Amino acid sequence: MSRRSDTLPVPSGQTRSQVLRDQSIYTQLLEVMWHLQQTMREHFVQLMSRQGLLQERRHIQAIREQEALLSRLLCQMINLLQSGATSGLEPQPLSSEDSRGDVRYGQGTQLAGQPDPVPQLSDCEATFVTRDLSNRGTDISALYWSSFQDYNAYQKDKYHKDKNPLGFINLGTSENKLCIDLMAERLQESDMNCVEEALLQYPDWRGQPFLREEVARFLTYYCRAPAPLDPENVVVLNGCCSVFSALAMVLCDPGEAFLVPTPFYGGFAFSSRLYAKVELIPVHLESKITAINTYPFQLTVDKLEEALFEARLKGKDIRGLVLTNPQNPLGDIYSPDSLMKYLEFAKRHDLHVIIDEIYMLSVFDESITFHSVLSMKSLPDRNRTHVVWGTSKDFGISGFRFGALYTHNKEVASVVSAFGYLHSISGITQHKLCQLLRNTEWIDKVYLPTNRFRLREAHKYVTAKLKALEIPFHNRSSGLYVWINLKKYLDPCTFEEEQLLYRRFLDHKLLLSCGKAYMCKEPGWFCLIFADELPRLKLAMRRFCDVLEEQKQDLIVKQLEDAMRE
Amino acid sequence: MFALPQKNFRAPTTCLGPTCTQDMDRSHGDDLEGECSRKLDQKLPGVGDPVMLSSDTSYLSSRGRMIKWFWDLAEEGYRTYHMDEYDEDKNPSGIINLGTSENKLCFDLLSRRLSQSDMQWVEPSLLQYPDWRGHLFLREEVAKFLTFYCKSPVPLRPENVVVLNGGASLFSALATVLCEVGEAFLIPTPYYGAITQHVCLYGNVRLAYVYLDSEGVRVKGLILINPQNPLGDVYSTEELQEYLVFAKRHKLHVIVDEVYMLSVFEESVGYHSVLSLERLPDPQRTHVMWATSKDFGMSGLRFATLYTENKDVATAVASLCRYHGLSGLVQYQMAQLLRDRDWINQVYLPENHARLKAAHTYVSEELRALGIPFLSRGAGFFIWVDLRKYLPKGTFEEEMLLWRRFLDNKVLLSFGKAFECKEPGWFRFVFSDQAHRLRLGMQRVRQVLTGKSQVAEDPHPSQTQKPSDQCSSAELLKLCFSPGPPSPIKQN
Repeated sequence: MSRRSDTLPVPSGQTRSQVLRDQSIYTQLLEVMWHLQQTMREHFVQLMSRQGLLQERRHIQAIREQEALLSRLLCQMINLLQSGATSGLEPQPLSSEDSRGDVRYGQGTQLAGQPDPVPQLSDCEATFVTRDLSNRGTDISALYWSSFQDYNAYQKDKYHKDKNPLGFINLGTSENKLCIDLMAERLQESDMNCVEEALLQYPDWRGQPFLREEVARFLTYYCRAPAPLDPENVVVLNGCCSVFSALAMVLCDPGEAFLVPTPFYGGFAFSSRLYAKVELIPVHLESKITAINTYPFQLTVDKLEEALFEARLKGKDIRGLVLTNPQNPLGDIYSPDSLMKYLEFAKRHDLHVIIDEIYMLSVFDESITFHSVLSMKSLPDRNRTHVVWGTSKDFGISGFRFGALYTHNKEVASVVSAFGYLHSISGITQHKLCQLLRNTEWIDKVYLPTNRFRLREAHKYVTAKLKALEIPFHNRSSGLYVWINLKKYLDPCTFEEEQLLYRRFLDHKLLLSCGKAYMCKEPGWFCLIFADELPRLKLAMRRFCDVLEEQKQDLIVKQLEDAMRE
Repeated sequence: MFALPQKNFRAPTTCLGPTCTQDMDRSHGDDLEGECSRKLDQKLPGVGDPVMLSSDTSYLSSRGRMIKWFWDLAEEGYRTYHMDEYDEDKNPSGIINLGTSENKLCFDLLSRRLSQSDMQWVEPSLLQYPDWRGHLFLREEVAKFLTFYCKSPVPLRPENVVVLNGGASLFSALATVLCEVGEAFLIPTPYYGAITQHVCLYGNVRLAYVYLDSEGVRVKGLILINPQNPLGDVYSTEELQEYLVFAKRHKLHVIVDEVYMLSVFEESVGYHSVLSLERLPDPQRTHVMWATSKDFGMSGLRFATLYTENKDVATAVASLCRYHGLSGLVQYQMAQLLRDRDWINQVYLPENHARLKAAHTYVSEELRALGIPFLSRGAGFFIWVDLRKYLPKGTFEEEMLLWRRFLDNKVLLSFGKAFECKEPGWFRFVFSDQAHRLRLGMQRVRQVLTGKSQVAEDPHPSQTQKPSDQCSSAELLKLCFSPGPPSPIKQN
């Protein structure tokens, strides 16, 4: 039943071959370390017994040999560690036999021959220098594959009702799959297909003027801006992560940081780090209700002040604050009052505020009003307030690659557009987006009501299941996700156990996101994306229940064993 | 509009890259990168006096200010053309753009093809998060396409293909994953100057023009453009082989940009893709680029592809693709287009080549009539023209002034300095434009060269006041950044 009891402290979700490879790297490492220890010991013995040696020259020779061997062993270790770190999905050319052979060879030469330390050293160096990637290239690859390997596994083995009924169901990636039918239909209408000369030629890198005008109109209307928004303040790029990456580049220097209340969508951490080398400093929110925490994960100005103070104490240069509204993964919507307080806090400290409102039209309880930051009569610091929106979530077209920046700061708008040619959108796509956004009648009368209804139904279905399982969750009515608490299935309640549970979901071909990925301080939280078609959602929830049942059985067995031991 | 260039500053002699990195140690690491930018901040006001950099009120980081400074220079030229673009009916006295390398000859064919019903396909997977390397169906099609048109001896493999939103993104990604901050690629000059920006913006990588160890910079690779831009040269297999062997000897990566490979319009010219070689000297360090911008005249479509046998490089570039992705629907259209071998071979290529050849012939004859020497090649969209005889002193300042005179007479060209050409006086004429525009453009060129232009011989007073050595880099940047802006699209 449980695969966890099988072997080693290796997460059980990995494939067998990977486990084996990890194992072999692990043993290789141990082996190399052992040799290293041995050699060092001998090295010291020789150094200590220096006076006892008759021939000084031979002694020096021996020490050189030892040093050469030491450095080679170190090199091998680093190589092994690197191959382990970057191995991700694809097997590395480095073969375990080879390196192990090398170690033995090294040991042998030390006894028999007289190896020249210089060529050996350069051999080792050569393995680094001739690596095809730059160091940062290696880092980027490693970071990417560690963050997205499960997503990539899903891409290769997607669930399909008939063709692949045993494939992965993804409740971990925030995508709205509920209205694909409406979108597909809309996108096939005749106004969508336009091929004009200007669409095929080099564009205005800020985005085609017609699209920026439409985005300004769209945001004026749906954000209820008190005055018409200006197309000149709009920059259009291929996705919100590109917007975020460009903003991080132009607002921060490498090593500087943004504050961000957590739990928080981890993709942004990735975006700020990858190119821009900007750090995100968490403002940890807590689930427990206390005198100052009137509801779970409440964001207060005091917490912001405290986090800022602490970060500055540690010598961090904080340049801004990142907010998501509606919040991802909590689904919280900030009231105009609290929003104002956060903005005033930022102004007090000369911080930029990047507000991601990418879920603004995914509020599915009509009694709740969303207040965009663009709806405010006056912004405390308009030149430092930057709004991000895209169609990926609200229109469920993440494959379109569209993200927009709205900022009153002309300087920022102009310099972000310098990144336009690296993050540009096809002219043909820009036309489609423009047509989509301008048809407010279809959006208001057809798309939004249907989308809200379907989101509500899916949410109702999932939360009913959660209630039946007595799983606590953050009950909100916006976004595509529920933030759920699986602490009771973890014993002890640690991030390692959280990871193991995550792996167990994966073993059952269910992809979820765990709290750690959202930089949550408390282990045991998961984010579940419910915006999927009902048949898939049903099957996913069945797998979900199975996993938790299995986990519960394990816990019982474990507790019994513990009791027996006592 | 010209506020910046008129400030009395000395711009760095090359582009963003060298300036950012001149203080860099060769060591690696993130904090060093930070240090570099900080140094840069302190340094630049000393180097010159760019307004933005000294301003305390700026909301930007120091690298942001740096980027803005260069971008504004670029925007200056961009706007000049953008605000006064030629239109036959609406603005007949507007500027004709013979400076941006775009093929505007075959829009009719393309629009017809792209409007066919197979192009309008929409399915759920196209609207959702993709495989960031590019949809598999597209990568398969690209592999087949390149196998066929590059005459590869073996079938190329889809897993070696990575698809991105344009050649600029691809240069940027390759620079990032192959080089550390401050390292360099070697590039033969004159070359397409925009690459300087592409490798620098995110990657902070510079270009070295001649020597392997120029200025103590570590060279990581070599960039070859084949057919060459701006010369239009096509490398023979022997030459290609020689360059690749050279690179192998020095353990250099080679990025071969073959973005004009199907724009060889002279049948006598035999084009050989690097992918057609029986054996690559160093396949793990050879990376090929291709895109639809030039060969299919769709620079606005934003589609480029990398082909490399090096899995690490492909993977690393794919790791960045999240930021350089293109719409699923466009990916589908590209696959349809590349698959349609009949249309490409029987309709598009013959027609495109015939039109390129006609336009090329027209401009060459015009030049001959003026007694102007030029390099006559059968590939690309441009002619490399020798206007040295119009520069009495043969300096880059005069080159600049001549370029200004062309612009004042409403024709935009690219000058040699923008391609890091060593000799002053060379210009690039893009000929792949509609006949009526081309004719008017050449007429305006002739007016300037024969001294019959409507504008005064003397350049603009404000420009004469410029210190001579400042404009080179300002204008260089202008050209680096200046693509042809679009005409506003009529909404219906």
